[in-house]
Amino acid sequence: MSNINQFGGMPAPRPSEVKLAQWLQNILYTPPRAPTEGPKPRKAWSDSRLESQLEMVMGSDYHLRFYQQLPDFIEALLKNEPGVTLRYASLLYHLAGCEECHQGYLELYDALSFALAPQETQIILTREPGTNTPPRMVGHLCRVLISQAEAVLKQARREHRDEVEAARSLLQLALRFSSRIQQSAIRRQATQDLVRVATLFSGPTAPASEDADTGVYKYTPMLATPGGVRGRKTVRHTELLGRPRDQVPSLISLQSRGLEGSIEQQGEMLELRLQGLGPELRGKHLLVTIPLGSLLEPVSWQGGNPLAIRSEEPVDAQGSLIMTLGTTSLRLSDPEEHNLLETLFLLLEVRQAE
Amino acid sequence: MPFTAHDLRYHPEQSFPVLYAYLQRNAQRFLGALQYDAIEVDTVVGHVIEQLVRLGLFGGGDTTAETVFDRMTDAQFYAFLSRMVHNKAIDRQRKRRLRVQPTAELEYFQGDEGDESPLDEAVEPVWGAAPFSTPEEITVHLASQLELRDLLKHCIVVLRAAPLQLNAVVQELRDIGADELLEDIFVELNMEPPAATQNPHLSQHKDHAHRKLRHCLQQKSTNLTVIVALRLIECMASQKKECQISTEQLVGDDLSFDDVKIGLRELAAEGLLDWQEEETVHLTASQAKRLTRFYREE
Repeated sequence: MSNINQFGGMPAPRPSEVKLAQWLQNILYTPPRAPTEGPKPRKAWSDSRLESQLEMVMGSDYHLRFYQQLPDFIEALLKNEPGVTLRYASLLYHLAGCEECHQGYLELYDALSFALAPQETQIILTREPGTNTPPRMVGHLCRVLISQAEAVLKQARREHRDEVEAARSLLQLALRFSSRIQQSAIRRQATQDLVRVATLFSGPTAPASEDADTGVYKYTPMLATPGGVRGRKTVRHTELLGRPRDQVPSLISLQSRGLEGSIEQQGEMLELRLQGLGPELRGKHLLVTIPLGSLLEPVSWQGGNPLAIRSEEPVDAQGSLIMTLGTTSLRLSDPEEHNLLETLFLLLEVRQAE
Repeated sequence: MPFTAHDLRYHPEQSFPVLYAYLQRNAQRFLGALQYDAIEVDTVVGHVIEQLVRLGLFGGGDTTAETVFDRMTDAQFYAFLSRMVHNKAIDRQRKRRLRVQPTAELEYFQGDEGDESPLDEAVEPVWGAAPFSTPEEITVHLASQLELRDLLKHCIVVLRAAPLQLNAVVQELRDIGADELLEDIFVELNMEPPAATQNPHLSQHKDHAHRKLRHCLQQKSTNLTVIVALRLIECMASQKKECQISTEQLVGDDLSFDDVKIGLRELAAEGLLDWQEEETVHLTASQAKRLTRFYREE
């Protein structure tokens, strides 16, 4: 591969071209976007939150279509391929005005130049991983995957294309990685955008707004601690939230506006148990919506649709209900599978069936 | 177990721990005195992992297109990762040095490193500086290359649907002396150069025009239109007067059949040729002349 590229030896531009270039720069420049998503904890390097969460460099609004062209564009530049700037003209027009993508271009150009140049020294790769991957790094990966899924969906919407499967695949990957995080608080941070992105652009099936008047009870899992499950007012510390492998609760505790419930397992069957439901629901059948339900294939949902699971029985006179959600080969007693199911039930909505 | 780019694409769960371990070792190596700061190490590693996801490699499976990473040898891919880590590590060290530090901490940085500070290695690489290293360099290239300027001409002509915006741009181009470009545009639009006027809403029209131009210039279809037009001109060179060109003839290594169809549709929509998804493109002599004049002649 040549180290000299064709763009270094260009003739000096004419004055009219320089003026046109300045005009182009003016019209192409787009100011950097303000951050629009997720908490960005990196205000100062001493920030203690960093112990559990790393900053993402790009948000889901990054220019995916252009950014993913960069590696091949750079390879073509390095190979001095004829017609490269015409082939990538749209990208060049974009790079002239977008600081974020231009910065990415420079970073990738340097790394790819280094990689594709003949190496004098051999890179040695030792075979054993050596260390365990810290939970904050797995959490970071989950957040990046979820953000990427959002970027894919937004891009597809702009270009009127269907990329649901690509986004779904990224969300499933994030879900599976999150199950490796034993600390509930870190796992919760890592998956905090999962429901929002999974229901992005899903239209009428998106979860209803958080409003007591809508008659929708939104249940979320309670954080698990070594001493069991704690109420939402309990002050928790990240380090205390690790769940030893021998103390895995075989249920998922849920809460919603002062109400409590749980998901328990009987053989392969997942049961939802609710208590203290209001008088308006007593004697009525309920409809349960699990927005993330379709992400996890090992669960076979009652009725086939996780967005509309109807209770077999009505709520009893004491405001209690036990209903089947579905069946799965996953085990609540297994730490990773418990985590997987807990994340799957990040949001569970309950309302009166029509 | 070693990992490959293929593993990261198709087996991300199995390869992540090994990827992390490789990046972590490199980060510790390049971070100098910061190698003992676990947050700094993970910040560097996390940056590279984010890039691999954003570029569509990590966990991309078959949903993202193959890129240079999929064609690299394993050694090249490891070298790429290592260099990414190296650059981010230097970036972190620079940021740490720039912060106001107490004297003791400055000594911590300057004390035991000897001659091995990675910052000292941050010199221009042997393969030279990157082309297009500044936005200015890019726009000079865009303005001085005939074929790239064709995209601009094309997008300015598209503005004809909004005459006030077109006039605002024409006025700007006239002010900067882009006469050749304007001449082509006037011929294409079959219009007389508009007289300079003082429109009270000129600034607003300019803003709207700039937004449309920015969008048009970055559209894939714009690029394909120009590429297909240039390929038609090449094909026409071997024929006289009226010509017929098969759409298959326009397909090339860098231009798929779908790309050709997008470009042809745009050219037909602009009235530069008559084409309705046929297998052959028919060009009359006047259409051929007009196409050549706009996209090739200077």
